Amino acid sequence: MAGESLYLDPQIRDWVLFPITLVMILVGILRNNVVQLLASSPKKQSRKATREQRALLRSQILRNTAKASPLPPSFFEAHTNELVTAFQEGKYLSKPIEVDENGNKIAPNPTSMLTDPAAMEGMMGNMKNQMVMMVPQMIIMGWINFFFQGFVLIKLPFPLTLGFKSMLQRGIDTPDMDVRWVSSLSWYFLNWFGLNGLYRVLLGSDNAATDKRDLASSPFATTGAAPAAGPNQDFNKIFIGESESLQIAEGIYKWAGEGIEERILRKYGKIPA
Amino acid sequence: MASSLTVPQAIQELKIAQARGHRDSNEIVRKGLFVLEQKNGLKMLGEDVWDFLEQMAVAALDIGQLELADDCIQRLAEQFPKSPRVEVLQGQRIEAKDLDMAIKYYETLLDADETNVAAWKRLISVLRQQNKMDRCISELTEFLDTFYSDLEGWLELADIYASVNLYTRSLQALSHALLLAPQNPFHTLHFAETAYTANDIPLAIRYFLRTTELCGDDSRGVARRAWFGVRLCTKHLTLHPDSPSESATKPMSTSSLNALGELATERLLAAYSSTSEKAVVPGRKEVLKLLGGSGTSR
Repeated sequence: MAGESLYLDPQIRDWVLFPITLVMILVGILRNNVVQLLASSPKKQSRKATREQRALLRSQILRNTAKASPLPPSFFEAHTNELVTAFQEGKYLSKPIEVDENGNKIAPNPTSMLTDPAAMEGMMGNMKNQMVMMVPQMIIMGWINFFFQGFVLIKLPFPLTLGFKSMLQRGIDTPDMDVRWVSSLSWYFLNWFGLNGLYRVLLGSDNAATDKRDLASSPFATTGAAPAAGPNQDFNKIFIGESESLQIAEGIYKWAGEGIEERILRKYGKIPA
Repeated sequence: MASSLTVPQAIQELKIAQARGHRDSNEIVRKGLFVLEQKNGLKMLGEDVWDFLEQMAVAALDIGQLELADDCIQRLAEQFPKSPRVEVLQGQRIEAKDLDMAIKYYETLLDADETNVAAWKRLISVLRQQNKMDRCISELTEFLDTFYSDLEGWLELADIYASVNLYTRSLQALSHALLLAPQNPFHTLHFAETAYTANDIPLAIRYFLRTTELCGDDSRGVARRAWFGVRLCTKHLTLHPDSPSESATKPMSTSSLNALGELATERLLAAYSSTSEKAVVPGRKEVLKLLGGSGTSR
């Protein structure tokens, strides 16, 4: 095999392989600290916004327990009716429903990201974090590309199929080289994705260096993924949907106290099972 | 006894008491003072020293050792100026002096930050201490409307309603507690007993039974109390088959009621019998009397 004949200078190990790894670890730790410095204190929610969200929780609890509800029928009905009317009238909304000149309800405009200062702030925070993630990565990548382009750094101790060639030998175009040889740029990528475990040991599990946004913030992933559950949801729509779900839940409602006398008597063998 | 206590042990026990929320203030202050008296006691606490001081402050206030509390709060205030937790502690210190002033203090805190949960809760508790039930109930309802998932809040509301004899209202508050913690037999028992007091016996018996079901095979504590409840309900329902039920709960069949009455008697007798011959379980005589007396009327 062609790969067997390759001999790597130990200086490559000392001056390229280890420095790249070390620099990446240190940058990860530095990034963790920088993110902590940049992080603005969590914004407090107003009373109304909390109320809006807890109302949703309230309806979900009621709905999810409906199959073996701890509430007797009359109580369950009262709870459901109260919530359904409140939702349909928008009593829990933090911003009241606007009414047009004909008296029709206009659903509040889902506040545009660009006009709501609170949303802007959140977006700025996200962007700052992403910058802190991306800029060092780009600098390191440039550094590696500039100084160590085309270097072969390490030989993996196990054989791999040809499919890994593009992953392990990025930056060197040799069709014949054994897949086990790893190029400098690939070593960088392996470190980038592989160091998360180490950061978790060094910095604790909720550090900023390993965060789950890692993939999203990589320059290769599209960063257009919208935040799924931001503060900009249209609660009116959600509440209307909830009120329908609640009415469905009424159909599957069963009281845990229904037939309990038989269950208990059967349990203690007083009536045949 | 104090001589056998070591500092790490005392710290450990204090931590456990804090995690479990024990209200054993005398013991906490005793152990806390013991730690403080050691030369390097505070150093051994390390990072936990602030938690320790907070715990001490509350316990000291609870047993009226105001100077100790002042000392703790002062140290905390120096370390964490403007911390909401310290602000609430300072509020509790004011409560020890003057309740009206405390109300004003908490109101200013809430004006500054309307979502200060701790201050809001303290305000409600001060209102209750002052017996201002109207405002207390309206504040608490507003609090629960905002922070629905606060289980203690619902229990407190139920307790307040029960204290002013509004048992149906109390039941409604408890129903929210049941929704939030459907697995907790204590709440089920509480609901059952409140229903019993509100004279909704058909509802009560189902919840007493539900409590025993939730407790599994255990027949101590909550479950035993629930069996007493079942016994009382079956007796009442056999004597008055058309007991009113505000919740429109369907009455049970007479045969089930009889069987349940027998079962409850059996469970209670088992609970009050001991396996050894000589030892008599305390209260056995009274229970036998109760069961026997009602047994004939069945």
